[in-house]
Amino acid sequence: MEHRSVNRKEPTSLPFESSDPDEQKLWSALSDLPLEEPSSQLRRRFYNNLHEAGSQSWIESLARWLGMRSNGGWATVAACLVIGFGVAQLTDTPVTDSGRLVALEENLAVLQRELILDRLQDASASTRLRGVVDASQVVASDQQVARALLDRATQDRSVSVRSAAIDALGSQLGTGDIGSQVMLLLEGAESPIVQLALVDLVLRHGSTSQIGQLQELAENDQLHPDLVQHVNNALRGQSI
Amino acid sequence: MTMKTTKQAVSDEQLIQWVADGDSSCLGTLFERHHRGVYQFCLQLTRNPGHAEDIVQNVFIKILNAAKKFRNEGTFKGWMYNIARNATYDYMRQNKRHGDPTEPTEYTDSLHVDDLSAEQSAAGQERLGILKEALATLPAHFQEIIWLGRFQFDSFRDLSQALDCKEGTARVRMHRAMQQLNLVFAEINGAPFSE
Repeated sequence: MEHRSVNRKEPTSLPFESSDPDEQKLWSALSDLPLEEPSSQLRRRFYNNLHEAGSQSWIESLARWLGMRSNGGWATVAACLVIGFGVAQLTDTPVTDSGRLVALEENLAVLQRELILDRLQDASASTRLRGVVDASQVVASDQQVARALLDRATQDRSVSVRSAAIDALGSQLGTGDIGSQVMLLLEGAESPIVQLALVDLVLRHGSTSQIGQLQELAENDQLHPDLVQHVNNALRGQSI
Repeated sequence: MTMKTTKQAVSDEQLIQWVADGDSSCLGTLFERHHRGVYQFCLQLTRNPGHAEDIVQNVFIKILNAAKKFRNEGTFKGWMYNIARNATYDYMRQNKRHGDPTEPTEYTDSLHVDDLSAEQSAAGQERLGILKEALATLPAHFQEIIWLGRFQFDSFRDLSQALDCKEGTARVRMHRAMQQLNLVFAEINGAPFSE
């Protein structure tokens, strides 16, 4: 069972006031406690349970509402459903449906995001690749997906996945958070393969200042010797 | 029943109403909004990830079955955390009876002070580890009020609904809990938090 630990601050907090400054400081420090994430198994179990319990209780509650206890009434239930649907069509269902649709859309968006994050962690390279393709569509608006893509771009054992993740992150290199993380990773990366992936990302999509930083790293021998040549060639327009 | 006409987030209270009306799919939206918070609350009290996940499942099944009982007298969140709290205590009592070795008084979380020190030697992180340990050492009724007040509720009214007590009681209990936390922290750390 995997448990991700994230340092996530919740938006709400009680306004606690104490005359003791230590207590007040403790209260503030509590918000920095790392919060554990549940495993993905929890979600799967919930939807399985909901599928089973929900479909039963829905019919059962309708039957109870109609005062039926035996199976003989199911045809009536079905008829009532049809009638109920028709009645609903004539009343305010467009408004109701719009509200439910919003709720469903919210649910779907969360599930889609979780699916992408799961796919990016999958054991199969083809599934991770699919995750990268899906992630590229939401990366601009989702920092967690962007960070997961960054992991794939630097750590994935499959060249195809790394390359696809680098392409997907290209549009994000201009954003402060991802851009600076890429440059930090580049400075700290020891593996030449990871360095190559990051160098290519910067060469393809980096800003002038990021390319300047890259050039500096090359000049100061902070890159693998083979990569220094690669960077110099690229900057002279001979490759990439 | 109030219906939303614009594309804004549907309230929890509206969603539980729809669940009560038989649309159990709306419970999915409620689950996505709150399962992490409920899990973290249960984990704080049980300190066992597996148990916490079992309790979360129970909580949402209870919500599904009891949706009709939600009366809009308070918030859905307060009602839900009250269910979560009762489910957690039931679970803990049951496990205690059956001699489960993972009792709430033990600190079995993955985030030990030693682990933190090994990974991040920064003093701030170490103090945070001690704070977590101090919180885990408190009695459950102090842990729950601190946790819910810090991470889930922004008013004593909603908090008291979750704890099934009067607002004044919640205020007094919170102050006692923080005093206790301060004392325990100083005891473990060898010095108060500000030093």
